Amino acid sequence: MRTPLLPPGFNFSSYKLAAMPASGPASAFWPAFWRGFRVMIPLWLGMVPFAVAYAVTARASGLSVWETQMMSLTVFAGASQFAAAGLFAGYGMAGGASALGIVATTFLLNARHLLYGLSLSRQVTLTRPQRLIAAQFLTDEAYGMVTVKGGQEPGGPSFGYVLGAELSLYVVWNASTLLGALGGAVLPSPEALGVGVIFPLAFLGLLVPMLRGRVTVLVALASGLAAWGLSRVLPGGLVILLAGVGGALLGAWLTGRKTAVQEAGA
Amino acid sequence: MSIAAVIVLMWAVTYPPRWLGLNLGRVKLPPFWLAFLNFVPVSVIAALIVPEVLGSPEWPRRLFASVVGGLIVWRSGNLALGILGGFAAYWAVRALGG
Repeated sequence: MRTPLLPPGFNFSSYKLAAMPASGPASAFWPAFWRGFRVMIPLWLGMVPFAVAYAVTARASGLSVWETQMMSLTVFAGASQFAAAGLFAGYGMAGGASALGIVATTFLLNARHLLYGLSLSRQVTLTRPQRLIAAQFLTDEAYGMVTVKGGQEPGGPSFGYVLGAELSLYVVWNASTLLGALGGAVLPSPEALGVGVIFPLAFLGLLVPMLRGRVTVLVALASGLAAWGLSRVLPGGLVILLAGVGGALLGAWLTGRKTAVQEAGA
Repeated sequence: MSIAAVIVLMWAVTYPPRWLGLNLGRVKLPPFWLAFLNFVPVSVIAALIVPEVLGSPEWPRRLFASVVGGLIVWRSGNLALGILGGFAAYWAVRALGG
């Protein structure tokens, strides 16, 4: 920053520090926010058709445009929104899903976010109000991206970076929900577009750079295959929670054993 | 119960786990549980991928796309390139009727 009007010998940086003590962190928020926002852009392609498909399912089940949108604004968790949209089809009818059934399913599908928050809280230092805000927009995708790409941030991922990544999906998910709720019936389905493959491709892109060391590869294999097996009998969100916890336990146990062997050998 | 009320309850059971996990950052943990948390990302991400590929009705195409996308990311280190390359591979197989 060149300022030719300043007197010779003027120390700009010390002036700035003294006059604007809060400018550092405050001005750093938006650049970090936009970096987080942009890092999610490759995932938009996969999100839009699914939000549209959710909205079409919800509308077909009898939800109004406002109710369809309200679920995306509040719950904001794709898999559980799809499940609920389907369950609402028989809502209030004999043999249909009950309110308790829909809420319990939602809880089971979304309990895995506890694990994401727990893992994120070790990487990012957040104040109490920041935690209240960041919690609302936490998703699989934002967690994965912040965990893997956030390491490239100077000093690790900040609140701005996390919120940018989270809101990137929130904005797209809600805009696409509205699009689907209003005119979704004429838009092509995710199956027709083949975009279902984008979600696993994105996560694979995050996983590949993490696969260093035998234990890590073993954990990924065990967790992935366990999830595949469990997914035949259990709902998706619960599968992620069980396989995720099981794989991490295996990793911790193998690490502990390796350390014990090293100590015994030393 | 109105649909809107059910949606509010869905929110009421979704938000607390998201918030609770974020609040446990300062809890002191023994080495075993620190190692556990270190393995959470790799374990969760693998669990998100495999059922979406092998459990899909179109799993051969998705498996091929994953191999191509995975190789691209491995060689280039570029996530967006891996997604686009994998998606292109998926469509190449699908267009050829595979």
